[in-house]
Amino acid sequence: MSSLSASLATALSGLAAEQGALEATSNNVANVNTPGYSREVPVFVTRDPVVIAPLTLGTGVDLQSIESIRDPILESQIQQESQTQGQLSALVSALSETQTTFSTSTGDIGTAISNLFDSVNQLSTSPADLSLRQNVLTAAGNVASAFNTAASNLTAQRTNLDASVQQSVSQINQLTSQIAQLNGQVSSLQNAGQDPGTLLDQRTQLIDQLSSLIDVSVIPTDNTITLTTASGTALVAGQQSFSLSTQLDASGVHHVFSQGSDITSSIVSGQLGGLIQARDQQIPAIQNQLDVLAAGLANSVNSVQAAGYDLNGTAGVNLFNTPPASGAGAAASLTLAITDPSLVAASSDGTSGSNGNAENLYALRNQSIIDGQTPSDYYSNVVFSVGNAASNASAEQSASNLVLQQLSDQRSSVSGVSLDEEAANLVRYQQAYAASAQIITSINSMLETVINMKSS
Amino acid sequence: MRVNPNPLPDLLSSVSQTQQQINQDLKDIASGQTINSPADDPAGAAMLVRNADQSAEADQFLRSASSLSGELQNADSALNSVITVLQRAISLGTEGANGTLNDADRAALAGEVQGIQSQLVNLANLSYQGSYVFAGTATSTAPYVVDSTSASGVRYVGNSVTNSATIGNHLTVKSNMPGSQLFSGDGTDMFQAIQDLVNNLQSGNNIDTAVNEVSQAYNHISAQRVFYGNSINQLNSQQTFLNDETTQLAQQQNTIAGTDLSKVISDLMTAQTSRQATLEAIGQTQQTNLFNYIK
Repeated sequence: MSSLSASLATALSGLAAEQGALEATSNNVANVNTPGYSREVPVFVTRDPVVIAPLTLGTGVDLQSIESIRDPILESQIQQESQTQGQLSALVSALSETQTTFSTSTGDIGTAISNLFDSVNQLSTSPADLSLRQNVLTAAGNVASAFNTAASNLTAQRTNLDASVQQSVSQINQLTSQIAQLNGQVSSLQNAGQDPGTLLDQRTQLIDQLSSLIDVSVIPTDNTITLTTASGTALVAGQQSFSLSTQLDASGVHHVFSQGSDITSSIVSGQLGGLIQARDQQIPAIQNQLDVLAAGLANSVNSVQAAGYDLNGTAGVNLFNTPPASGAGAAASLTLAITDPSLVAASSDGTSGSNGNAENLYALRNQSIIDGQTPSDYYSNVVFSVGNAASNASAEQSASNLVLQQLSDQRSSVSGVSLDEEAANLVRYQQAYAASAQIITSINSMLETVINMKSS
Repeated sequence: MRVNPNPLPDLLSSVSQTQQQINQDLKDIASGQTINSPADDPAGAAMLVRNADQSAEADQFLRSASSLSGELQNADSALNSVITVLQRAISLGTEGANGTLNDADRAALAGEVQGIQSQLVNLANLSYQGSYVFAGTATSTAPYVVDSTSASGVRYVGNSVTNSATIGNHLTVKSNMPGSQLFSGDGTDMFQAIQDLVNNLQSGNNIDTAVNEVSQAYNHISAQRVFYGNSINQLNSQQTFLNDETTQLAQQQNTIAGTDLSKVISDLMTAQTSRQATLEAIGQTQQTNLFNYIK
């Protein structure tokens, strides 16, 4: 036996459910442009039927929950790719700055070395000529200052990268503490049996940001998540975040520490990974090449000088101050040892008109004096490796951009708000609401009929 | 399958890619170079470094060749004067050997030869840009010093060293010839011959022998002078070669890094068209959704 009041309750459940669904639609539309927002869908379930023999009667609908639609695997892929992208974009911006030092210009190292040998060749035609000797000294001074400038550019760049490392670490700390805080809010909502939808979106958004800074692994645990770096350093465990710190090391750059241990070399991804890679590997490698070139050139020139005689017939002295024995810092410290042009040892026998030693100096141009290569070939390889590093990083960055773009498209196709869809839903909910309301009106008139029956 | 409801980020990234292409094309056109930094073409940039070094070297070889050429021509023209002067000495000597002359006539001739002697000392002490050309490598002092205690009347204070200067890859040219080889070497000594001629003119004895000595010196110097002609020729042909090389290196440089204007401009046009089309598409497709139709 059914009752009108039961039907009324069923129709009311429809009204309430459609109204709730409308909330989801209006929230979706409101957040259509919110970054990281996942669309919500209402989950309708049929209420348990009642059995009044011989009938089984439906009792209406429940809006069980409003669920955010997201794909955790896609999200973790996006986080992975964000790490790669963060690393590459830090690397690209560092390397494209580095390579400007090696663009061909009037003051670059290659041109300065060419000019030095040119001036020696000219001196060879008239070895006693003081103005030609002065030209050699000037050209050698330009070589020294070209090396000095390049070395100081690289050092300045390392210093800037070091400052960025510190900034990056403090951004990471801010994000991890925000994530830990959200973890707390999420789990208290979940414990209360509620959907933490938008909080999860916020947390995902923060993890995305964190991923672009450092290599993050997300480990879901009961009602919460744990974040570590790829090598296992804890960043967030539930409601607790572990902040990273920086400490100046002997070489003058900051190392990254977590709870007392140095994790610098284990950070390979994210912006911080890229910054560290540029600061500790790429730029030092270039500095090292410049040092090899500067020290090799200076030592070769000095030993040829020592084998000859100056304009006064005295044995030749160093043209360049002796570079450090290890070669480290040779480019930065390269300076002329002499200022008197008569001290250029052009003579091979002590007579002022001999050009034999100037010829020997000139011959260095085509001798394999730098690591088995001529100075110009060695420098051209430096230019190649700098350019190649920058161009590879930038190609990888473009590729990573594409991947990230595709992943974001996929994410958007799963979680993005479609206004067409929302409009259609709006129509559906509106019409269902109107229909339920119509049923209530009908039941109302049926009840009136019953009531009027009694009173008449 | 649900499609991505928001294609805008995709479209914008494609717009920004075309914009990047446009920027690069504009840069290439403005600079005339496709390699504006090593990353634009690492291998090309490395080739440019070597090309620049080779060009600088070739330019320098041209300058050195031209300096050497100047010096050698100067020495050669001094030798030309020496030869003219020696011819005059020979004809004076031949005149003096004529038995009809008296002592006074011969003394006059001897006086003239003495004048020639000091001319020859001056010529042998030729200095070019502050260096004595015939002094070997002892170029800071005049190689011939007048010395009455010496049998030849002069003393050679230069050395016998020669210089070679590099004017090409694996190509050197000898850039001087010492006076000891030209004027006062073993066997033929120009100054001894002239001194003998003066002495014999004054004494009236063996004038023919002295004239013969001067002739030998004349022949020797004429023969040695060929060196200068050869060196100057060598320099000239090397200069021609270097000029060709410079042109080739410039062409190579242009091939490596020069902007192919017609290609870049065509790329630029394509990029601009594509950019405009994408922008128009964005403007038109994003205007409507179902909400516009619900009344």
